Amino acid sequence: MFWLTCLLVATFGFVHLEELFAQISPTQRQVIYSRDSFLALLLNHIYLVSIAAIISICVGVISAIFVTRSYGKEFLPLVSQVASMGQTFPPIAVLALSVPLLGFGTLPTILALTLYGLLPIVRNTLAGIQGVNPAVLESAKGMGMSSIQVLWRVELPLSSTVILSGIRTSITINIATAAIGSTIGASTLGDPVISGLVNGNTAYVIQGAILIGLLALTTDSFLERLQQKLIVKHSLM
Amino acid sequence: MKPNAMIELNKVSKHYDGTIAVDSVDLSIKQGDFCVLVGTSGCGKSTTLRMINRLISHTKGQIMIEGQEIMSFDPQSLRRRIGYAIQNTGLFPHWDVARNIGTVPKLLGWPKHKIQARIEELLELLNLPYSSFAHKYPSELSGGQAQRVGVARALAGDPDILLMDEPFGALDPITRESLQQELLRIQQQIHKTIVFVTHDMDEALKLANHIVVMDQGRIVQQATPYELLLNPANSFVSQLLGGEDRGLKQAGLMHVADFMKTNRTMTPSDHQLAQIKPDDSLRLALSVMLWHQQEQLIVMDDNHCVGEISLQQIIQAKPYADHHG
Ligand SMILES: Nc1ncnc2c1ncn2[C@@H]1O[C@H](COP(=O)(O)OP(=O)(O)OP(=O)(O)O)[C@@H](O)[C@H]1O
Ligand SMILES: [Mg+2]
Repeated sequence: MFWLTCLLVATFGFVHLEELFAQISPTQRQVIYSRDSFLALLLNHIYLVSIAAIISICVGVISAIFVTRSYGKEFLPLVSQVASMGQTFPPIAVLALSVPLLGFGTLPTILALTLYGLLPIVRNTLAGIQGVNPAVLESAKGMGMSSIQVLWRVELPLSSTVILSGIRTSITINIATAAIGSTIGASTLGDPVISGLVNGNTAYVIQGAILIGLLALTTDSFLERLQQKLIVKHSLM
Repeated sequence: MKPNAMIELNKVSKHYDGTIAVDSVDLSIKQGDFCVLVGTSGCGKSTTLRMINRLISHTKGQIMIEGQEIMSFDPQSLRRRIGYAIQNTGLFPHWDVARNIGTVPKLLGWPKHKIQARIEELLELLNLPYSSFAHKYPSELSGGQAQRVGVARALAGDPDILLMDEPFGALDPITRESLQQELLRIQQQIHKTIVFVTHDMDEALKLANHIVVMDQGRIVQQATPYELLLNPANSFVSQLLGGEDRGLKQAGLMHVADFMKTNRTMTPSDHQLAQIKPDDSLRLALSVMLWHQQEQLIVMDDNHCVGEISLQQIIQAKPYADHHG
């Protein structure tokens, strides 16, 4: 709640702080970024990250579930290797690679965010499902649960906190990563940063950076709360 | 094939590539039997057990339940008819005790009130007061309590057959002993067909009326506990029975009440004699004699003298042939 308040105050309040920012960049004629409103940039930023998050959650969780089933076992080494390797891949490289495929703008940014956000989700879903006590699985099967029932009633609930923490990492990283989308023409909170860097306008950079930081903190604390609730609900270990 | 067999294994084998885990096993378990599979680690006990509820599919042979080949059943409905309890309980950590116990009834689609009644009934049967245990989570239970819940959960769907794989294997000796007693008491009330796996011969002797000794995937001998003690088929079985310790193990299966001299009234000098209860074992009587350095004990039941037993009587005691331990 605290971070959300800060975020909203900053989004609507920067316009009124012209004097303060004028001190940071005294040589500039204009010190408040105004090509787009901060609100519009914020909403578009959230929109990009959300679309990417929804896709990578669906794809990530489903593929991790698939490779932990008996019929998908063969793909397990491949998927877990890719998942751990992908984290070392810089997001800017993903972005650079997706431009020739999809051109400039929103679409390649969403693609890059999706790919980059996929990895923590796959990795954590795998770890969560593989971490379920084998005795628990054996008794679930032994009592006559079907494989779907084992998945929904046992495996997913027991790995939910680990999966959620993967989602949390993924989204938080992507809020920062999305800003780079501005370099290939997507409209995000990275716009003021990039434009500030190009024109040597520190005030713009700070405005963009503060908003990105606050958005990340707000989202992260919200997801952390969700995670806590889940832990309490299951009163796990 | 005997028609009254609840579970019947005909030349059942399980091969893994390279190893033969279970080798042509013939086994017939009657309704109401307490059958214990015993043997050293890796001899195929768990594999045999888990083939019965199709957690493992057998490679060769036939497994019948009530005369029907198990491959003709749907595996899920077969397992819902068979209780299953394992060493590490496998309780669902995210569900409370009540919900854990209600698992199979819920899978069977019982109405809510019936499931609730069943949970209460089972908690009572296992001496776990509903008010203090129903809403605890497995992480809040001791090992013994968790294992009781595991047994309750296995019984929940009112199965005819109960499969138990070293259910008390991880417990301390005292808790284990009391759970064994309780399992025997419960079995006398409910008369299920139980197949129980252990590597502890004492546990087998105590619980079983049908002991199956396995070695390297084969059945070496199957008999009642007394027959086994009296006539071990080979040196492996007698070694498993503890060699020279056998005498004590046998005495552990016989009760004072069956060998004492009855019709005895108290005399003043009796107050110097140590006492024992009629349902204690001869083994315990022997130990009491050694401890008190007396050759005679008086048998007391609820503060009444019901008889006496002497060292001579214990030494001459012959096991009754068809006794259930
Ligand atoms: N999935 C498997 N693949 C290959 N071999 C196996 C497999 N499962 C069991 N075995 C082998 O089958 C044999 C019997 O195993 P099983 O688990 O039935 O033994 P057990 O009598 O239950 O032993 P324990 O007392 O240690 O539990 C062992 O030699 C084991 O190595
Ligand atoms: Mg075993």
